[in-house]
Amino acid sequence: MRSDPYFELYGGVFAPETLVAPLEELEAAWLDARDNPEFLGEFDRLLRTYAGRPTPITFCQRLTEQLDVHVWLKREDLLHTGAHKINNTIGQGLLAKRMGKERLIAETGAGQHGVATATAAALLGLECRIYMGAVDAQRQRPNLERMKLLGAEVEIVEAGTATLKDAISEAMRAWTADPVSTHYLLGSVLGPHPFPNIVADFQSVIGREARAQVIETLGGLPHVAAACVGGGSNAIGLFRGFLGDPGVKLVGVEAGGRGLAAGEHAARFATGSPGVLHGCCTYVLQDEDGQIQPTHSVSAGLDYAAVGPEHAMLRESGRARYVHETDQSALAAFRTLARTEGIICALESAHAVGWVIRNAESLAGQSVLINLSGRGDKDLDHAIGQLGRVLSAETKEF
Amino acid sequence: MADSDSRLDRRLAERDKQLVPYLMAGDGGLEWTRVFLEVCDRPGVACVELGVPFSDPIADGPVLQAAARRAIEAGSSLKAVIALVEKFRRKNDTLPLAVFSYANPIAKMGLEDAFKAIAEAGADLVMMPEVPLEESAPFREAAAENGLGVVLFAAPSTDNARLMQIAEHTRGFLYLIGRYGVTGASKELGGDLDAALNRVQAVARTPVAVGFGLSTPEHVEYVHARADLAVVGSALVERLHQAEDPVAACRAFLARLMPE
Repeated sequence: MRSDPYFELYGGVFAPETLVAPLEELEAAWLDARDNPEFLGEFDRLLRTYAGRPTPITFCQRLTEQLDVHVWLKREDLLHTGAHKINNTIGQGLLAKRMGKERLIAETGAGQHGVATATAAALLGLECRIYMGAVDAQRQRPNLERMKLLGAEVEIVEAGTATLKDAISEAMRAWTADPVSTHYLLGSVLGPHPFPNIVADFQSVIGREARAQVIETLGGLPHVAAACVGGGSNAIGLFRGFLGDPGVKLVGVEAGGRGLAAGEHAARFATGSPGVLHGCCTYVLQDEDGQIQPTHSVSAGLDYAAVGPEHAMLRESGRARYVHETDQSALAAFRTLARTEGIICALESAHAVGWVIRNAESLAGQSVLINLSGRGDKDLDHAIGQLGRVLSAETKEF
Repeated sequence: MADSDSRLDRRLAERDKQLVPYLMAGDGGLEWTRVFLEVCDRPGVACVELGVPFSDPIADGPVLQAAARRAIEAGSSLKAVIALVEKFRRKNDTLPLAVFSYANPIAKMGLEDAFKAIAEAGADLVMMPEVPLEESAPFREAAAENGLGVVLFAAPSTDNARLMQIAEHTRGFLYLIGRYGVTGASKELGGDLDAALNRVQAVARTPVAVGFGLSTPEHVEYVHARADLAVVGSALVERLHQAEDPVAACRAFLARLMPE
């Protein structure tokens, strides 16, 4: 490898030997492309004319009045295909073309990354196969149909827990079978080097734009920049814009699920420990034998046992702080944002909103920029069923 | 302390062409695995790879994925495998053993502690399918301190410069992944294998083992015409799982693959 695979103690290239050559090829293509004006120009053009960048920042007037916290949203939910994922899939899709690959493969949990990959494949004229856990395919049926409509083959993964983790394993296995003509388009800041760096590069447009936008609008920087963290690509995208601003507190919000018992959440920094999963060394949820534990979150996009290695570094250095919000808090925030601002956000993003709402007292008077990483259309059926339960729980409380 | 080189060296000196069976430790129960090890201790078997089951085995096909799941459910783990090796070694000091594990169970126990325990139990080699040359230095150091060897892997996609380094740093033997893809039976060998094997043989300082996809006596013969060691994993594991009398099945399959 020509560039450093590590984020301090975390990251690395824990991949089968068969994948080392393709990873080196990918790294070389990325190092070349990231300084290439032609590549960057094409990436920028597609983000503007196809994906819908720049996305605006929105001031939440009514929520701000309610909370006494100045809430700003970075509107990645307004992007084509409904989430920040498209930034990365267009970027990697262009890289794949540059490397002469004919086919994209990708994993998907909620289906957002799968849809964004299938979209990039259609746009760029590449074949596409998406690996999706059987459990996720069941609960995200519309996205499954979208991928097929976009011309992708969808392979349903029955192995293991039949969710995102198993879809990633299966996509990696498929890549070892044909690394010469296939590009594995990994969807988050995870996996073996260079993936965490490549995905962070393509997503860093979020933080770059947001920083310029808040300075222009507010006349200064926000006190806090917050984002939900599954693998953590939307959060890294936001954080990278503010790493050089020590006055901006960075907060990553993990899925607290139904509480911190094993198997009930995906708060890796709360109960996890360093380990190796899917190609990198990072914080993982594991048992005492080093077996990966099952996870739970109301949002499929946060429902994963490991976190991006750059987050592990940012946490260890203290530059970013990581917290977790329960399913219930996220669902309540999902509804609040819909009613106060007319924005139906993804359940993933609702975790970050929920953290701000629950901590309004300690954040009073401060400005908080939340990355609203996706829209909630995909979650409607699931969320409305769950909301009934939250409402009845609240009725009991008051 | 494991007497690694000599145990494997003695075995390798017995004959040129040998078999390396892979067992998923704890598939069917750990006591069965110990019995299979005894069955494997026969002329023509150079070493046994003892698989530590892992929940997310990215280099394995469906057969070994399922076997790992069964083994975990049966209570297998790195700790259990170490205890198994220790128990086996009390009665058998000749059959070389390679502990075959994904990185995470080792990392969870702590690299130093894990390798010390593996060595003290009496294993000879450690193999880690997703620890490539780049990440292997700390593992090789910890292994060397404890008298263990780390077997490194090469693949058809490995270039010659890397091959040189892999050949230099591997211990025991050099494991060539015979084709693209994950573990599990193939119909035919060849294609990628022949070209890769020529390149590996040109730089190898140790015996070369070929694995991934071998399931028949013809496959073993094919490999033995070109390399010293033939690894049989999924095909053996599935047979032991399906068989009514797994001990007899193990004995018969090994005899078919490698007549004494």
